[in-house]
Amino acid sequence: MKLYLAQLWAVAWKDLVIEFRSRERVGAMAGFTVLVGVLFNYAIDPTLVRPEDIASGLVWLTIVFAGTLGLGRTFELEAQDGAFQGVLMTPVPRDALFLGKVLSNYVILLALVLIVLGVFGLFFSLDWGSSLGALVGALALGTLGFVAVGTLFSAVSSGTAMGGALLPILLFPLLVPVVIYGTSVTGRLLAGRPFAEVEGQLRILGAFALVALAVGAGLFRYVVEE
Amino acid sequence: MSFPGEAEAPPLLDAQGLVREFAGIAAVDGVDVSLPSGGFLVVFGPNGAGKTSLLRMLGGGLRPTRGEVWLGGERIEAGSPRGRERVGVLSHQTFLYGHLTARENLRFYGRLFGLSDLDRRLQHRLGEVGLLERADDLASTFSRGMRQRLGLARTLLHDPDLVLLDEPYTGLDPHAATVLRTVLETLRDGRRTVILVTHNLTQGLELADRVAIQARGRFAWEGRSTDVQARDFEGFYRETVDRIEGLR
Repeated sequence: MKLYLAQLWAVAWKDLVIEFRSRERVGAMAGFTVLVGVLFNYAIDPTLVRPEDIASGLVWLTIVFAGTLGLGRTFELEAQDGAFQGVLMTPVPRDALFLGKVLSNYVILLALVLIVLGVFGLFFSLDWGSSLGALVGALALGTLGFVAVGTLFSAVSSGTAMGGALLPILLFPLLVPVVIYGTSVTGRLLAGRPFAEVEGQLRILGAFALVALAVGAGLFRYVVEE
Repeated sequence: MSFPGEAEAPPLLDAQGLVREFAGIAAVDGVDVSLPSGGFLVVFGPNGAGKTSLLRMLGGGLRPTRGEVWLGGERIEAGSPRGRERVGVLSHQTFLYGHLTARENLRFYGRLFGLSDLDRRLQHRLGEVGLLERADDLASTFSRGMRQRLGLARTLLHDPDLVLLDEPYTGLDPHAATVLRTVLETLRDGRRTVILVTHNLTQGLELADRVAIQARGRFAWEGRSTDVQARDFEGFYRETVDRIEGLR
């Protein structure tokens, strides 16, 4: 178990160091998020629609679109100089490899979540207020399921001729539960509803994340092995 | 391939009837490889002969359509981590990350192999390939020759019993090729089993004790390097390949 965790961490550490040095994915996702915030700022007339009424949907769709941009690069970085082939020639269990990649992607997407909250807070003068803790928790839970599914399908799409262009087509249908429950929880918390009202939906988001992690870990070897 | 007199000692590497098809076309078509500890086999062959596919199957990176690979009594399977700690692979691709330093690259692979005493191993391998002074520089700043030397250090980091080398000289200038050859020489220590795939007949024959010519997915000829020295190998190689590929 100790070796398994060390291998898992080695994969995540490597990805995070590379991201820290290249800032390739975080840079692209942050840029995308700011541009989306600017465009929504002009597209929505606050005299007709109250921003807080639609903020939850905008936040989640921005996370999904920007996150897909970042997740799509997960295995492109590995293709340079055949590095991923080298990793597959080591004795690292394929589920540890998958979970390591999920961990690094999760850290990167949590950074995205904070950027999204900052951008939408700024452009729409949203007051995350007293529900900030629960809100971040809901976003973190939903993002975990998103990352688990996204990492698996990023591996699938990277092995095809269409590459990253295929990822949204494969990924978005599976994200419907995350968007439905994530938007609902976020909207209710923003509206100042009590935590008890969203507890069940948070459990569903958690269950989705656990199932996605388990299925991804089990299927990953069939995706990456030839 | 095996040779008379070697039947007594159990082979370290034993692969029988290896076949790999891509879209119904056999890239490797019924190859047998049986090598004892310390054997150094060089496989020559034209482009598309199936040499890389053969090496990938032997290393567990590609699932055979038919046939099995056994290393020291343990079956090597694509998708399974078993036995991989005994195999080292170097190809013209170095499997390195440009955004990591030389030391970080080796440390990463060392952790995947679960190696103990990693710092000592890193120092030793980096020194062996002459990269100690550049150990903390990003791999992306290295020349092609330096990257290949670092790739060799990665290949040998876990002290594998079986070393698979796929066109390691590709893209190297004469000096870098000489440095690489010097390190490859050290692999002939009688303990490691090595398979080298190359187009370069001269460099290959200098290192080999067994030779095979692969064409159209099959071993068209197998022999000892002593057999090879007695003939004009270049002419023989061309004749063999042309015959198999139906050009004559």
